[in-house]
Amino acid sequence: MAKETILIVDDEKNILDLYDQELQDEGYSTFLAQNGKECLEIIKNEALDLIVLDIRMPKMDGLEAIGNIIDINNKIPIIINSAYSNYKDDFMSWAADAYVVKSYNLDELKKTIKEVLQKKKSSV
Amino acid sequence: MKKVLAMILAGGKGERLYPLTRDRAKPAVPFGGTYRIIDFTLSNCVNSNLRKIYVLTQYKSLSLDRHIQKSWSFLNNRVGEYVYLTHAQQRINENWYKGTADAIYQNFYTIQEEKPDLVLILSGDHIYRMDYRELIDSHLRNNADLTVSTIEFDKNHSKEFGVIETNNKNRITGFQEKPARPKTIEGKPESILVNMGIYLFNTDILIKRLIENAKKTDTNHDFGKNVIPAMLKTDKIYSYSFSGRNRTNYWRDVGTIEAYYEANMDLLKNTESDSLLNSNWPNYTAEEQAPPARITGRKSRDNIQYGTVVNSIISRGCDLDNSAVKDSILSPHVTAGEYSTIESSILLDNIKIGKECSIKNAIIDKGAVIPDGTVIGYDNKKDAGLYTISESGIVVIPKNTEF
Repeated sequence: MAKETILIVDDEKNILDLYDQELQDEGYSTFLAQNGKECLEIIKNEALDLIVLDIRMPKMDGLEAIGNIIDINNKIPIIINSAYSNYKDDFMSWAADAYVVKSYNLDELKKTIKEVLQKKKSSV
Repeated sequence: MKKVLAMILAGGKGERLYPLTRDRAKPAVPFGGTYRIIDFTLSNCVNSNLRKIYVLTQYKSLSLDRHIQKSWSFLNNRVGEYVYLTHAQQRINENWYKGTADAIYQNFYTIQEEKPDLVLILSGDHIYRMDYRELIDSHLRNNADLTVSTIEFDKNHSKEFGVIETNNKNRITGFQEKPARPKTIEGKPESILVNMGIYLFNTDILIKRLIENAKKTDTNHDFGKNVIPAMLKTDKIYSYSFSGRNRTNYWRDVGTIEAYYEANMDLLKNTESDSLLNSNWPNYTAEEQAPPARITGRKSRDNIQYGTVVNSIISRGCDLDNSAVKDSILSPHVTAGEYSTIESSILLDNIKIGKECSIKNAIIDKGAVIPDGTVIGYDNKKDAGLYTISESGIVVIPKNTEF
């Protein structure tokens, strides 16, 4: 079976590196982007199974990116991964499939990734 | 008290109202002498004490912008009352509105800032009088997620509307979009329940369903066609019947030249005009200084008595000199010269009609200058070469036409 592909979007380089390493160890292949604009470019050109999306980023933030992601490809599940939980009040965050508050322990994120990918498979 | 935000959809192109919509959005088309079509919906809001109003526009919105600024700035911002116009913001994505539901979806941020409990979605191109507070009461009593306002029509009209099925507790159980064979109302085999395009949503349900709709591809992003039928399984949708009770149930979608003409002419019938032109439920519009209408002269010729007005609406600033007007609606500042007759016609603002003109079954848009001796509406073949003629033979003359 081909590896499932995850796009990680975060403006902090060390977080990108950490997630990249950890998710590859989990058996996923990865793409990396540092803001919403880069994220949209990758979505246009690559086949993705999931997006892990930070919110506070320069150029285009995560919430702004979500509307555009849906507009380009409305089939890719999105997990919001922000250090803050208050963006749950933002309606656009409701368009994501899950919301995980950032932590250096990635267990919850990994668990959510599994669940969302599972749900995606079963809905096809 | 629940906080309610009204959002009026005013983005339609109004192609079937052409040429009245050549230079303006459909809700900005003048109506009933001194009003614009959107004034009826806006007045309903204000009279229902809903004073947080967004008007969502996109095409040809300049005329609508100007009208709202001129006529609706009386709402008091200091106490949280307003009518704001919002154009396609392209904040969610870079498209124009794809449908009614998409228009609201694209304006998420507006709803988010206002934090209303309920969102009332209205159409800017309907002529009716309605107390939305009764709709809100009904919604709360039913503990509904969504309430759709409905009206009873003869089943012959089914192909023009969305038809709604309900159970005996007014809960909506089915939708048919412009069906040839509609489901009729139980016990009333000749009547159907029609969707008026008036939706009252609990805010959180609205947002969730709009996001779901935005993620679908096989959709027109339309409330009546897609979003609401998809909610049948998951949400509590109730019908609020505008017909019956102690209510005047006049409601018209003035989407075509014929419907526009008929609805204007309905103002000349006592029963309809009582409900629409009523100082207990005032329609607000631009306030402009102008002299009172003046009808002068008393000559007669060829058995016609001039200096007369019969069964008509004559607005301020009109000056009719020895002319005869019958069954017509004249907007402000229409002037007519000696021995001219105007019959069964709608004349919008600032039209100058010369002497000895004969005008019948016509809609003349603003600013036309009609020279002495012009004949309009008596010979459809001849008129067809010169003007737009509707299916039923109404002659339409575009804005600022000079002959």
